[in-house]
Amino acid sequence: MRSQEPPVTAVQQEARRRRWRRLPLSLLALAVVLAGLLALAIGVPTLWRYSGESVRHYADPETHFLHGSIGSEVSGLPVRLWRVLPDLFPDAFDDQHYEAFGFLYAAGDEASRGDLPIGLGAREVRGVEIAWFNCALCHVGTVRESPDAAPRQIAGMPSNNLDLYAFIGFLLEIADDPRLAPDSVLAAMDEQGQSLGMIERQVWRYAVLPQVREGLLETRATLAPLLAEQPPWGPGRVDTFNPYKLLQFGMSAADLDASERIGTSDFPAIFHQRPRQGMDLHWDGNNASLQERNLSAAIGAGVTEESVDHVGIERVADWLLDLEPPPSPYRPDPDAVAAGKPLYMRHCADCHGYQQGERYVFEGERLGQVLPNDLLGGDPARLDSYTETLQRYQLTLFEDDERYRFRHFRKTDGYANLPLDGLWLRAPYLHNGAVPTLYDLLLPPADRPQAFVRGLDVLDEEKGGFVAPDCTPGEPLAEGFCFDTSQPGNGRQGHDYGSELTTQERSDLLDYLLTF
Amino acid sequence: MSEDVIFSPLAWRNLQVKNRLFRSNISGRFDNEDGSLTQTRINWECQFARGGVGAIVSSFVPVQMEGRIIAGYATIHRDDFIPLWQRLGEAVHRFDCKYILQLSHSGRQMDLPGVHNQHRRSLSSTDHQESLHGFLCRAMSEHEIERTVQAFADGAWRAREAGLDGVELHAANGYLFTQFLSSAINDRRDRYGGSLANRARFLLEVIRAIRERVGPDFHLQVKISAVDHNDILPWERKGNTLAESLQVCRWVETAGADALHVSVGSLFPHPLNPPGDFAFDTIASTYDAMLSAGTNTFRNYLLFRYSSLRWIFRWLWSRHQRGHAVEGVSLDEARAVRQAVDIPVISTGGYQRASLVREAIASGACDAVSSARALIANPDLPKQWQVGQDEPARPCTFCNKCLLNAPKNPLGCYELSRFDGDHERMIATLMSIYDTRPELRLPSVPPAQNP
Repeated sequence: MRSQEPPVTAVQQEARRRRWRRLPLSLLALAVVLAGLLALAIGVPTLWRYSGESVRHYADPETHFLHGSIGSEVSGLPVRLWRVLPDLFPDAFDDQHYEAFGFLYAAGDEASRGDLPIGLGAREVRGVEIAWFNCALCHVGTVRESPDAAPRQIAGMPSNNLDLYAFIGFLLEIADDPRLAPDSVLAAMDEQGQSLGMIERQVWRYAVLPQVREGLLETRATLAPLLAEQPPWGPGRVDTFNPYKLLQFGMSAADLDASERIGTSDFPAIFHQRPRQGMDLHWDGNNASLQERNLSAAIGAGVTEESVDHVGIERVADWLLDLEPPPSPYRPDPDAVAAGKPLYMRHCADCHGYQQGERYVFEGERLGQVLPNDLLGGDPARLDSYTETLQRYQLTLFEDDERYRFRHFRKTDGYANLPLDGLWLRAPYLHNGAVPTLYDLLLPPADRPQAFVRGLDVLDEEKGGFVAPDCTPGEPLAEGFCFDTSQPGNGRQGHDYGSELTTQERSDLLDYLLTF
Repeated sequence: MSEDVIFSPLAWRNLQVKNRLFRSNISGRFDNEDGSLTQTRINWECQFARGGVGAIVSSFVPVQMEGRIIAGYATIHRDDFIPLWQRLGEAVHRFDCKYILQLSHSGRQMDLPGVHNQHRRSLSSTDHQESLHGFLCRAMSEHEIERTVQAFADGAWRAREAGLDGVELHAANGYLFTQFLSSAINDRRDRYGGSLANRARFLLEVIRAIRERVGPDFHLQVKISAVDHNDILPWERKGNTLAESLQVCRWVETAGADALHVSVGSLFPHPLNPPGDFAFDTIASTYDAMLSAGTNTFRNYLLFRYSSLRWIFRWLWSRHQRGHAVEGVSLDEARAVRQAVDIPVISTGGYQRASLVREAIASGACDAVSSARALIANPDLPKQWQVGQDEPARPCTFCNKCLLNAPKNPLGCYELSRFDGDHERMIATLMSIYDTRPELRLPSVPPAQNP
């Protein structure tokens, strides 16, 4: 101990005595002050870092459609986690990235560089960048004019490659997988070079990743019983309303009537929204308001009343108003086309409008109106999946905001007559995609293929639509998905409007349809 | 002889005074570290004697080195100082002025302890430190009390030997006697604490010891605080009431005192003693001399130093002054004492106007008045009164800068307005008492000593 001069005065002696007596208190006060300063020094930047939200703005509306946020991140996964999932679960990804589930990457984007696929919008929420679905997820597909050609990405066509059922199934399955534990995820991030700071690492270990897992487990508990009852959707298809009932409105799968539990149908094309204004929208025509239909679709993608980004959604909607499909690449015999058009005008145009040269004409007595399924005879599963109960729930959405409150949803008794613009991109056909080609659609339902391969994008020059070889359910395929029309919801019946034509007439009509 | 009551002579039991104005006790650091007085002190006192006061109550004169309030004040603790005090007495007597030595002991109220005292806690009735500055102290043992009583008696004897005209016991304003008397300070459980009689025991023992030592025919007066008003800091207790002090005065009379000198306040300075302004700018530059003296001095320095904090102290200080005049601040208490006892009473408290003094004496509130600040400003105040002026042309402003300069600077008037803003003139006035004209003598050469 350092030797000290004796105190010179009594006051100094008293001060020294008090100093020793007060030492513990002083040290405690010092410790409290230091701890406070430390807490401030760490806390303020951390709070700043982990508060508020920010979203990336894309100047180009199409890029916004492909990558922009619509506010669905509340249901989503952290971007850093999106990047490591393929590395963590190589078996599920077949050693690829998200293309394994039919996701697409925009031109110039590289999954290996950490770019996210089309259809994911990202937003930084409380310091963590989260990505989840946007409109492009279900509405960007590919076509190839021959098996050797490079796929051509077309915004607005159905996402013919995307196997959403398989992807959601994968996410629900990994919810309790040990590889999703913080140690393993953080190690994978390190390996990828996604560097986390000391504090950020702790935040991820103790908050972000546990929350993700909890969210997945909760979703699994809600959704898995429903998905287990449904035949796999296959690529290009989704059950729009049933997951919506469970996730948005808190119903349980057991609450649903047996008749409503399978609502799987094709992703629709979303070209030319302006002329569709006022038509019965959705396959079953349950809503005639474009705005409500868009908002409802966003809710299907994971948006909630609280998280919704109306500006983001409306920007997409505006861009879609006049989005045109690329012209049909088919070059059928002009005479046959000329012969087929009158047939179409007589038998089809009333319900579907017609193609006039390069232009689609949205005119027809019953265009955009619901045709009772008693007349149409289509598979009723999709129609039945939308119920009056769901309608009642939907009418409670956005109650507090007159601009967005749902008013137009209704329960219908059939399917809507849709315009056929961009028809060449919309295979397989019918609402549930149960008929692979236009050729097959003109056949009597019994003659249509019983099981065929979906998920291919090579154009079928003869039949219109995508090449879809016959398959045997249960047998392994080199590529694609064997779609079995005998499964519930997959029925190929109905829309029996070509069978009374002669073979020649059907051929001429098909040639005309190929120009759409 | 004047018919003016102020200038009618006093003929007390052991003291005759030519008029009714006493110079109250006040001092600067004029003297030597060992307590011996200097020519400067003689010069200082003579200016008042020359000015015409009837008697001078000396400054605070400690009877022991351990009872100093400020190192640099003359003491009366050594016999070899008797000739020095004798010279002072002779000097004052030349102006037909009496000199009363104030026998004092600081107790815990020790502003600048000096080398003799800084290493130890000062002696007091209590172990509790002084409330305002935080001066440290310890309770005296009975033996120490006995020794101190003796020191007072010896001090009185030395004053008498020096040919001075009397002694005053400083039992007011927070010094050792007050520390025993005050119910707010004295927390003893022996025969010197508790009841009023016990608390007064020390003072009465000193009076009796002095009488025993100097006999009944040497003037002995006691200065007392009639009311303690000890609660300058709101959490302190108020201390002695007027009724308690009257009882003490009766006991003092019985014990053998010749007169009473009435003040107020259980510490010094006090809002009511001396009353008037509190010059923050002055004390901010002088209080640093006291920083090492107490445990609360730094706190106080901050309160004085920073104008944004001054309101705190101003509020503490001024709340006691409301409703009190500056001149004759404790005249009512003096009147009460005079009615309670049969010995003469001197009232202290900034007396400057002849009319007020005249009325105080004529009304029987007191027999004489004492003043200090008014005389520092105008040492010839009695002469001015005598020629009919009620108040001097340049009166004391009661700014208290004289007092607040004392820890660091020479005692004197620092009110620049009284010198028409002429700083040089003010300094010249302050320095006038240092005009010593010394006759320097060479000390004798001692025989060589081997180390």
